[in-house]
Amino acid sequence: MNGGLTLPSRRSVLRGGLAGAGALAAASALGGCGSPASRNDPLEFWNFYAPTTQSEPDLKAQNDWFMDAIGDWNKANAQQIRPVFIPAYTEPTNTRLATSFASGAGPDIFLISPGDFLRYYNGGALQDLRPYMSQEAVDDFPDATLSTRAADGGIYAIPMEVEPLAMFYSRPAWEKAGLSEGDIPKTWEEMLNVAEKLVTPKQTGVVFETTPGYYQNFLWYPWLWQGGGNVVDPQSQQAAFSSDATVQALNLFGDAISRGVAPRTVPAGGDIPAAFQQGFAAMWESGIYEVSAFNGRAPDFDYGVFPLPTPEGGRPRTCLGGWSFCVNSQGRNPDAAARFVVETLASMSEKSIKRLTKWCSVAKTDMPPRKSVERRMAQMGVFDDPVMRTFHEDILPDGRPEPRYPPMLYKSVSNAIQGVQQAGGKATDQADVAHQAIESFLTTYEGGSLI
Amino acid sequence: MALDTRATNSTTGSARRRPRADRKWTRRNIVLLTVGTVLGLLTIFPLLWMVSGAFKPEDEIWNMSLLPSSPTLDNFIYVFTEVPFLRYMFNSFFVSAVVTVAALLFHSMAAYALARLKFRGRETIFMVIFSTLLVSLPVVLIPTFVVVRTLGLLDSYAGLIIPMIFNAFGIFLLRQFYLGLPDELEEAAMIDGAGYWRIFWNVVLPLSKPILSALAVFFFLANWNSFIWPLTITANPDLRVVQVGIATFQQQYAANWNYVLAAATVAAAPTLLMFFFFQKQIVASIKTSGIK
Amino acid sequence: MSERTQQDLAGQGTTVRRGPPQSPRGGGTRAAPPRGKSSNARSREKRERRAALLFLLPDSLGLFTFVFIPMVLAIALGFFSMDGFGNLSFIGVDNFIRMANDPQFWQSVRVTLVYLFVLVPAIFVVALALALLVQQKFPGVGAVRSALFAPYVISLVVVGLIWQFMLSDRVGVISRMLAPFGLQDVSWLGNPQLTLGTIIFICVWFQMGYYMIIFLAGLQDIPAEYYEAARIDGTTAWQRLTRITLPLLGPTSFFVLITATIAVITGGFDLIYIMTGGGPAGATSLLIFYIYEQAFLFGEYGYAAAIGSTLIVVLMLWSLLLFKLTRGGRVNDGS
Repeated sequence: MNGGLTLPSRRSVLRGGLAGAGALAAASALGGCGSPASRNDPLEFWNFYAPTTQSEPDLKAQNDWFMDAIGDWNKANAQQIRPVFIPAYTEPTNTRLATSFASGAGPDIFLISPGDFLRYYNGGALQDLRPYMSQEAVDDFPDATLSTRAADGGIYAIPMEVEPLAMFYSRPAWEKAGLSEGDIPKTWEEMLNVAEKLVTPKQTGVVFETTPGYYQNFLWYPWLWQGGGNVVDPQSQQAAFSSDATVQALNLFGDAISRGVAPRTVPAGGDIPAAFQQGFAAMWESGIYEVSAFNGRAPDFDYGVFPLPTPEGGRPRTCLGGWSFCVNSQGRNPDAAARFVVETLASMSEKSIKRLTKWCSVAKTDMPPRKSVERRMAQMGVFDDPVMRTFHEDILPDGRPEPRYPPMLYKSVSNAIQGVQQAGGKATDQADVAHQAIESFLTTYEGGSLI
Repeated sequence: MALDTRATNSTTGSARRRPRADRKWTRRNIVLLTVGTVLGLLTIFPLLWMVSGAFKPEDEIWNMSLLPSSPTLDNFIYVFTEVPFLRYMFNSFFVSAVVTVAALLFHSMAAYALARLKFRGRETIFMVIFSTLLVSLPVVLIPTFVVVRTLGLLDSYAGLIIPMIFNAFGIFLLRQFYLGLPDELEEAAMIDGAGYWRIFWNVVLPLSKPILSALAVFFFLANWNSFIWPLTITANPDLRVVQVGIATFQQQYAANWNYVLAAATVAAAPTLLMFFFFQKQIVASIKTSGIK
Repeated sequence: MSERTQQDLAGQGTTVRRGPPQSPRGGGTRAAPPRGKSSNARSREKRERRAALLFLLPDSLGLFTFVFIPMVLAIALGFFSMDGFGNLSFIGVDNFIRMANDPQFWQSVRVTLVYLFVLVPAIFVVALALALLVQQKFPGVGAVRSALFAPYVISLVVVGLIWQFMLSDRVGVISRMLAPFGLQDVSWLGNPQLTLGTIIFICVWFQMGYYMIIFLAGLQDIPAEYYEAARIDGTTAWQRLTRITLPLLGPTSFFVLITATIAVITGGFDLIYIMTGGGPAGATSLLIFYIYEQAFLFGEYGYAAAIGSTLIVVLMLWSLLLFKLTRGGRVNDGS
């Protein structure tokens, strides 16, 4: 037994115990107060891109983009900013961000998805960035990209990308099944029939997300909207979940599994390029972010993209995802943080436009959140690429931003999806249960509008 | 490699009437061997499958053969070049070792007092400690986080180590063990004029070696394998531990199972190797932990 | 150890203890010192008390800071509404009322009970059966023991990864090995009817070796003569098991039940986190995971704390029940 090793920790324990005696001081910490770090420390920018050591070309390009943006700021400003890579940031099960806010030590700048927006906004954690933006810059963002980040005349997050959903398919798999471009389905029924032809002992016909979470909801909303359905009516702000459109969309996920054309767990851990290459899946509903994944990891693989098919009598709809930058209003220097965010993503300066253009065309392949960036990308010929053209011309116009529902709504919807898709429950029952839960939640809800 | 339990067994008086029965190829032995082999192979199959997958190139990863047809070290090289796994392993080792040593010392001190010293309120103190036996970290994750933050231990080795030292389980087992020691030990020491610390240090601790080594295994493994706490309180990549490192790695390379399995093998190797080299001691000590 | 502490702990201890020799089953309580305490005895008592408190100090401080304060905080927060951004308001028992009416909560309770009451007995039976097997002497028994124990040294994160890989739908090695039986399309981690069972199976696989070794120790303490005598009486193997082995394994069994219960209640989280995220359709949403989800995913810290504090109270009562059953925290009944 080495006494020397134990000594320091023992002393810290004693100190810790004494400090802990101010026990309910901890309770006040729970109430969230300022961060213990001094004002002169660099602001922390929590993200899932940088700094990273990984050498995959797509990951490296994204890392470099962040490092450049922060490096440029740091060269010109006294208030320094430090990127902090948070592992598994996008996993809904990750505790890191929530825990830090709960204890009053939230990061100064962080990335936020629409699904989390209202929680942070309603909690008063987001800084209004509108005062830092010129009117010209505000107008440069189409309504579809800012509406879900705006509330009460303020803008609380700046989108860095627009990510529409589509159906990806593997050309080799289609050819093997004797299918061609002409077989691209337009309706749900056609889609399931095509999927049926693609099923082999190893290969699943079509993949719809299976893991419960924000991400699955995000991938399910288009099917709901195509039939005219809604979770909450955007005008009246009343629950609207109990509808034929809901039942039909829930059944789509359920039927795909019961017909044996879709899997119960996603193949290849959700890595589409790998799943296509290894012949585990032939079609997969996902977002434009897969394009950079293919470019980076399977540049020679022959895949295609088509708009999500629609139900009988429905209309084309897709969901527009994407992350945004936001600023912690309780952070150490929200003013500098806000200026950084606006300068990086939402200024009319040449640098800002160029930077965002680079993100949407080189570092990642995304639809642009700004009109000026869109023009720039068109000039560069980014949309000449067939896949990007399909996204830009055939898919994007039918897009609706990912809704910013608070966690309770998300969970009710998620339960309904899981209940039908995985547990084989009756769609009308599941829709009614969720509708009631949403209704009762809305009677006491106060906060940003549910759009 | 074989677990030999006879060494510890010899003193317990369970004399075997038919020595060397295990050497004979009787029908009974063949049946037992067959059953044992089948169960043993089924049990370690997942581990073998992991290790074999770690040596398979990407295009072989889903095939059904246990032996890679063209084994490669590329997966390991990739894992080590992409991710500072050695650093993660050092962190895990350091944290686990310090927690283990500190926990053993503090718990045995507390258990010694609770078992061998007489003072008012002893049973009450023990009952209070015992009542927390089943209260585990995920249930109190947020308040624990708050306490640790209040003490300024976030994102530090101290934050990884100190809160993990304290639990009722170790005290409970050690007290159990100390209750069973004969009184004469201390009395002899008392006659020699030894104080409590000297009795504890020179008499009780040496006698506790078997239970301490059992608990050491238990604590070390538990801390080497701990995941949710390091995930919650550290952001600094220099402090990342193996389990968080590998979970993160898997999320980034979800479909590259050859890499993921290589990383998993790396994460599992230290404890597996430790087991193979020290299994006799490990098993012997586990056996003494419960019921003496 | 500081010098002062050293001195305090080093009582002079010149007094020879009197009184009858203690047996371990005497509750660990030393016999009362002789009546009519001498001043010498009294000062010894004082010293002993002081030493005891110093011995208890590090663990007491640590447990107080890192176990009790969090527990008290967790319980107190159950009476608040709290969004995780510093907005805190007292709402009395509203969280508890909500809990009683929350179907998801009851679903989690059900999952947790099934998990606990299937897994603990399963571990018990499997570990005992394996111990009975490897207790026998046969060539290679040592290797078999090693193999059965090996999974225990792997972390749950790695365990989760290995099984995820092997249980991949259609292409995983298990689906393909089961294909001849027509089971290739079964989704072991995707079908809500099966997932909890799969998780339980993996937990048994992971933990059985540890408890097997503990049973083995218990078995080897049973004198072989008992079996010889019983054999001469012409008993069957089953009779020997139920009449000799099981009764004499009493203390060991109790120990296994307690430690397995602790391991099952406190563990399991990592596996769920890595493998299922509580899904599919809530099938593996253990209470401990539901609390986590409410707090971190939904920001319902007050509500999560209410569920957590209920769980803490139940676990504490359970611990105290164990305390009573073990007559003051002793596993061995000494009989």
